[in-house]
Amino acid sequence: MTGFRPTILAFCCNWCSYAGADLAGVNRLQMPTNVNVVRVMCSASVKPEYVIKALSQGIDGVLVLGCHIGDCHYMTGNHRTAKRIPLTAKVLETVGIDSRRVKLDWVSAAEGDKFQQVITDFVEVVTGLGPNPLREVRF
Amino acid sequence: MRIAFEEMKADRLLAARTEHGNVAPVLLARGDVPGELRTDVPYQMANILLRVVPYLGSDRVAVVARKCDEKAIAEMSKRGLLDPGKVSLIGLACDARQVSECRCSDPCPSKVHIGECVKAAPADKEVEDLLAKTVPERLEFWTAQFRKCNKCFGCTSNCPVCFCDECLLEEKTFTPEKGIPPGFAFHLIRSIHLADKCVECGECERACPADIPLLALRKMVNRDVKELFGFVAGDGETTSPLLTTLDGEPMEDDHDVC
Repeated sequence: MTGFRPTILAFCCNWCSYAGADLAGVNRLQMPTNVNVVRVMCSASVKPEYVIKALSQGIDGVLVLGCHIGDCHYMTGNHRTAKRIPLTAKVLETVGIDSRRVKLDWVSAAEGDKFQQVITDFVEVVTGLGPNPLREVRF
Repeated sequence: MRIAFEEMKADRLLAARTEHGNVAPVLLARGDVPGELRTDVPYQMANILLRVVPYLGSDRVAVVARKCDEKAIAEMSKRGLLDPGKVSLIGLACDARQVSECRCSDPCPSKVHIGECVKAAPADKEVEDLLAKTVPERLEFWTAQFRKCNKCFGCTSNCPVCFCDECLLEEKTFTPEKGIPPGFAFHLIRSIHLADKCVECGECERACPADIPLLALRKMVNRDVKELFGFVAGDGETTSPLLTTLDGEPMEDDHDVC
């Protein structure tokens, strides 16, 4: 799989993970550049529909990052995410998309190095999985 | 069927009957001519009940309900769309042929008025076969199936638990305005949306003009939900796990019933 660079979508919550990403940038931590960060107000606003749509249009991996459980700006927002995203991954596995292409993780505003770690690991996993099979499928 | 009025003291009766050679739902008042009422057709009454209830005022309605109707009505009243006190259920037991068509695991209504209970169908062969496949094989199967979709929205409009005010799939963000098939995401979004309320009535599969095995997909998703949260849709008490916090407490802002 030489030369394959996955396209990855990362939904980052405004209050924690986006600030974490910012901190990683300020600290000049090196990480793969094929991640497109989408800033959302809360990880709970990432509905399963968006994840499914991204994957069905050929994105290789979707990363959902939110505040740690208990730290949500909207009190119980990330509880919702914690239930929705695993379900989405499982349903995608049922119809034939590897569930490792969807990942949920918690990154707080102080965890720039964790952000780097999560991105690096995820890009590695998705590179190993190869391109999204739905990219070839034309409807 | 007349017994519904005397025994249950209902003001209206919702049932299916033969109309112009076809089967149509009908809402009867006390004293109406019943005509040729049908109980052999596997059509869902719960969906129609939800549509007529806003126009009934304080009338109590009796509805001919199978087990799946009963579960769908429980899901609706749990979400506050229906007042269960105003609805009486006339239990209709499915016959053996209908049970085997739906591969139904739970065909017997809680109180049987019409027909006799038959045994539940054995484990669904189609689902077992699909789950035995490897992940790339499943993708091949489902892309071939989803390609047949011609975006008729039959599965949506006949579904007893599709009751959002604004349908997500009618937005062009998720369903392209032009062209069929609507893409891989269409049926998956529907599955995820119904994950915590699907009662496996099989109406989507019966309505589908393209013969997409939607009931198998629903059963697979329901199995996933059961594995993840131990939740089975269809009883009136348990709140859907997608609407509670991780400790099982209900969310404070439960405006989002769908």
